Amino acid sequence: MGTATGIIRALNSGIKHLAVKRFTLRYPEEKLKFVGDGYQYDPSTGVGIAGLKGRHLLFHDKCTGCQLCAIACEGVAEAIAMVKVPEQHKHNKKAIMPQIDYGKCVFCGLCVDACPFYALYMTNDYELSTFSKEGLIYTPAQLQVKPYVAQDSEIIITDRGASHG
Amino acid sequence: MTTELPTDIKSTSSEIQIDKPSSKWLPPGLALQKVDEKIMTLNVGPQHPGSGHMRLIVQIDGDYIVACDPDPGYVHRGEEKMAEYRNYITNIPHLERPVIHDSCNILYPYVLGVEELLGIEVPERAKYVRVIAAELNRCIYIMYWLAIYGIFLGHSTMFMWPTGDRELLIDLMEKMTGARVTHSHFIPGGVRNDLPANFEEVCLRQVNYFEKRIKEYAAVFYDNPILIARTQDTGVLSRQDAIRLGVTGSVLRASGIDYDVRKKEPYDVYDELDIQSIVMTEGDAYARSKIPWLDMMDSCNIIRQALQKMPKSGSVRVKLKPNPKGKGFDTVYKRVESGRGSLGCYIVSDGKPEPYRLKLSVPSFRNLIALPYLLKGEKLGNMPSVYWSLNYWPVEADR
Repeated sequence: MGTATGIIRALNSGIKHLAVKRFTLRYPEEKLKFVGDGYQYDPSTGVGIAGLKGRHLLFHDKCTGCQLCAIACEGVAEAIAMVKVPEQHKHNKKAIMPQIDYGKCVFCGLCVDACPFYALYMTNDYELSTFSKEGLIYTPAQLQVKPYVAQDSEIIITDRGASHG
Repeated sequence: MTTELPTDIKSTSSEIQIDKPSSKWLPPGLALQKVDEKIMTLNVGPQHPGSGHMRLIVQIDGDYIVACDPDPGYVHRGEEKMAEYRNYITNIPHLERPVIHDSCNILYPYVLGVEELLGIEVPERAKYVRVIAAELNRCIYIMYWLAIYGIFLGHSTMFMWPTGDRELLIDLMEKMTGARVTHSHFIPGGVRNDLPANFEEVCLRQVNYFEKRIKEYAAVFYDNPILIARTQDTGVLSRQDAIRLGVTGSVLRASGIDYDVRKKEPYDVYDELDIQSIVMTEGDAYARSKIPWLDMMDSCNIIRQALQKMPKSGSVRVKLKPNPKGKGFDTVYKRVESGRGSLGCYIVSDGKPEPYRLKLSVPSFRNLIALPYLLKGEKLGNMPSVYWSLNYWPVEADR
């Protein structure tokens, strides 16, 4: 193949892409849709449930303050600290629950695997940026709140190419 | 306490001898060297964008490279030492950090090794899920590398297209593992979670489209006369040199040696799948840059086969005890074919929950050894095309 033909073919291939759909996601207006409600773990079978590894969700009525999540995090990120909570539960005599520092967390989800009481899950919430370091530390009360996530954009493949729709 | 002068200071004579190399070790580039008026020393990196996190000390005579001394080590993280203080499970998130784009493949040998140490039998479905994850990750890595290779050859279209098309596979990995780059998905005893509902269908659709897309790169990049002029017959690595220097992966296969760990030492279910290891005989930068691209098409083929043969239901993970430990003193060496070449992991266990010693044998470092031989006699302008064709990832080489 001659040099001229090669260059024309390359240019032609580029020009064809003017008709191809835009693939980029316009992020703050459009958000990606994820599978499920976030990464979860079933201790009875020992298998996780697929989902995004985002911000954690803590169930106060299930947490016993056993510190297994903090021990699991020790060798990974040391992001989990056990703190006192005001409310008293019969199953949580010490009244301690995990507090997570998202400045340190690597979102590996090993703390979720460590919890034997179905008390710690992960959610689809990934927008955690704040203006201060303290804002990244989530107390047990903040972790209890189920996030509101509106996500609808998925990859759609048509004859004109792939796009987020 | 009497203080004595070290012997080497006593013996130093008054005149400094420049010609003879000093017995005292100095970092590269700092040792005194005889000055030649014709030769100029040029430091490419560590701040230069074209070098990655490393320095290339290049000596040039006019426009021709006389010698090249790569100086890696700027991003050394002590991964191997860190592994000695963490148990077999908490080692997983930090061991994938050297190559976050290929995180499944760097965890693969470690997980296989730990399974042999602990004597775990992996479920059949988990093996297939691992193969799919590893092949998707290989494509994600190669697309990233291809984008960098394109931009350093001045081909900005080849930067944009792979970065966009990589999103198709990152989306699949996100559905599968819950994270876009650092998946932490492999675990001794299988994978962390089962595939989501109708993943097979979505995977097949996106992989087919991805394959169609990468075939379009031929006209714009691989058949482009400008790329061929810049890469053909530059940095030729002969068959004998490739064996002598011990290079792996695409660099080895570009020099005409058919060696693929997936084929020669099949792990998990690779022996049941049809793998086509691509070999080219030219040994130049063009062959080295084309083989990963052809590898991606092969990976798409493997993913389709694995999706077809995978058991439709079953367990994907063996439940482990809280602190799994080996049975007394034991060593194990496992290796896999990563996006860059054969990646090995050597684990020594002394019966404790932590490994006694862990060693990663990484392909990036082994491919970098060839660089001084390839660059000798090349023009300085050809340096990026030869350097990036080695499929080199600085962070992985330093570990």
